[in-house]
Amino acid sequence: MPRQLARDALGLGLRTRHYRELTEPWPDLDYFEIISENFLSDAQGPRYHLDRVRERYPIVLHGVGLNLLGPALPSNDYLDRVAALAELVDAPFVSDHLCWTGAHGVSHHDLLPVPHVPELVELAAERARHVQQHLGRPFGLENLSSYVEFTASTMTEWDFYAAVVERAGCWFMLDINNIYVSSQNHRFEPSNYLARIDFSRVLQVHIAGHTREPNGTIIDTHDQPVTDAVWQLYAQAFRQHAFPTLLEWDDHIPPLQEALAELRRAEAIRA
Amino acid sequence: MTWPDSPDWLLELQTQFGEMLRTPLDRSGGSLRAPSEAYDARLVASMLPTPSLSGAERLAVYHRQYWFRLLTVLQGLYPLTARLLGYWRFNEFAAAHLGANPPRGFDIEAAGEGFEETLARQLADGDTVVTASGRPVEGAAVLDSARIDAGFHRVTRAPQSEPLRPGPADVARFSSSCLALSPTVALLQERWALCELRASFLDGPSDDAVALGERLPAPRHWLLARHGTQLGLLALEPPEAELLGLLQAHPLEQALGLLEAGASEADRLHLPERAQAWLARSVRLGVWAGFVST
Repeated sequence: MPRQLARDALGLGLRTRHYRELTEPWPDLDYFEIISENFLSDAQGPRYHLDRVRERYPIVLHGVGLNLLGPALPSNDYLDRVAALAELVDAPFVSDHLCWTGAHGVSHHDLLPVPHVPELVELAAERARHVQQHLGRPFGLENLSSYVEFTASTMTEWDFYAAVVERAGCWFMLDINNIYVSSQNHRFEPSNYLARIDFSRVLQVHIAGHTREPNGTIIDTHDQPVTDAVWQLYAQAFRQHAFPTLLEWDDHIPPLQEALAELRRAEAIRA
Repeated sequence: MTWPDSPDWLLELQTQFGEMLRTPLDRSGGSLRAPSEAYDARLVASMLPTPSLSGAERLAVYHRQYWFRLLTVLQGLYPLTARLLGYWRFNEFAAAHLGANPPRGFDIEAAGEGFEETLARQLADGDTVVTASGRPVEGAAVLDSARIDAGFHRVTRAPQSEPLRPGPADVARFSSSCLALSPTVALLQERWALCELRASFLDGPSDDAVALGERLPAPRHWLLARHGTQLGLLALEPPEAELLGLLQAHPLEQALGLLEAGASEADRLHLPERAQAWLARSVRLGVWAGFVST
C-alpha cells in the first residue's frame, strides 16, 4: 500500500534550478513532485539529486509523456520504467495528462487536446484503468490548459474529464490554473468546472502562474506567481474538500525561498 | 489486456495536427512566425474560432510552442554553440536538425542528439558563418563548439559505469583488442580557447552572443571526466590525445606503431616511456570502460 499525503499537504515541483539550494537547513515542506520523464533514464546526475531529496521528503510522480490518447500504445517499457521509479521513491501516487503527446512515432512534447466526445471517454477510461493497474498505485489524470476548441465536441470539458475519471476508477489530478486558463481562452465560467468535480477523488491540485499574450490568449507558462484570480478559484475549491497542493514553476524560476513563499500563500488563502 | 484502438478520425486529426506542428516557422520577416495562413484547411475547419481569433490563429499557439520548446532545449544542450552563433543563427541550424530528426520517445533532450553531426554535414572547417549581428565566425570554431557541447552533455548524462581496471590476466587482450571509452569521459579538441569561453558564461545571467578570441597556435586537447556528479577537465599533450584516440581503433601495439610513425625524430626518442605513462594514467583516471574485440 503506497504511503499517503496529508490532505492539506503543501508540495513543490522539484526543478534543477533548486538543486544547489536543497541542502541544510532543508526547507519545511511536505513533499516534492518530480517530472517522471526526467528520471526514467539511468543518467547519474538526476538520480543523485533524487536520492538526496527522497531520503527526506515524500515524492509523487507527474508524467508528461504517457500519450494516453495517442494512436500508439505506450510501450510496456515506458510503463515499467514509471512503475519502477514509483516503487523506488514509494510514490503515494502517479499522475499524467488527459491528452495526446505524439503520433506515428514522433513525440511532440506538448500536451495536446482532443474533441470531447463520448467515444473518447470510453477509450481514455479503458486506457487509464490499464495504466493504474500496471502501476499498482493511484493514478491521477490532469486536465489540460488549452488554446483550441473542436467543432466536433459534444460535451463540455468538465463533463468529459469527470466521465473519464469515473469510468476508469482513477483519480483527478486537478490543475486549478489550467481551469482558469481554459476558461478565459474558451469563455466559460470556471465555477461550472469545479461543480462537476468529485473532490473526494482529487489526489492533488496544481497551481501555477500564466501569461496573457497580446492577442488575448492566456498561455500556461508556469513562469510567474499565481494570479489572484487563480487563488480565488483555489479557495473556492478548497472549501469543498481539502487536497494536497502543488506549486509548479518551470520558467524564470525564482530562488527556492521565493517559490516556497508563493506556495505558503495557500495556507493564508484557504484559512 | 489490450489497449483499444483509436478511431480513424482521431488518427487523421492527429496526423494533420502533427504535420502542422512540424512545419518550420517562417523566418523571412526577421522573427519566428507561425505561417497559419498555410495550415491544412481540414484541420482549420475542425477548430472553433473565437470573436477575435480564427481557428488557424488558435492553432498557431501550439505551432509556436512546439518550435520554441525544442529550440530552447537545443540552446540549453549546446550553450557554447548557441552563444557563439547568436540565437537567431543557431535556431536556423537547430530547426534544420529538428526538421530532419523530429523527436521520438519520452526524453526531450534526445532531440539534441546528433546535432553536432548535422552541423558537420552543413558546415566545413573553411566556411564562414555570419551571425545576425553581422559578425563572421569560422566554421571550424562552430564545429569545435558543437562537439565540445555534445561531449559535456554526453558525459553529464551518462550512467555511472565501472572503469576498466586491467589485471595480469588482461595483458594479452591489449594486443588483440581495442579499448572502449568510458561513457563518463570525453576527449575534446579545440582550436580556440572554447572550453574557457564556455565556463566563463555558463553561470552568468546574460544571454548575449559571445565573441571568439584568437585562434590558438596549435590545437589543444582535453580529457573531460566525471567523478560522481563533478566534471573535470584535464589537459592532454597532443600525442597523448592521439594515443587515446588510436587505442579506440587499434590494439595497443598497432596504436603505438601509428603514434611513433607520426612523431618527429626528437619525440620518438622517449615515446615508448611516455606512451607507457599515458596509458597508465588513462587507466588510473578511469578513461576506459573495457576491451572491444577487433
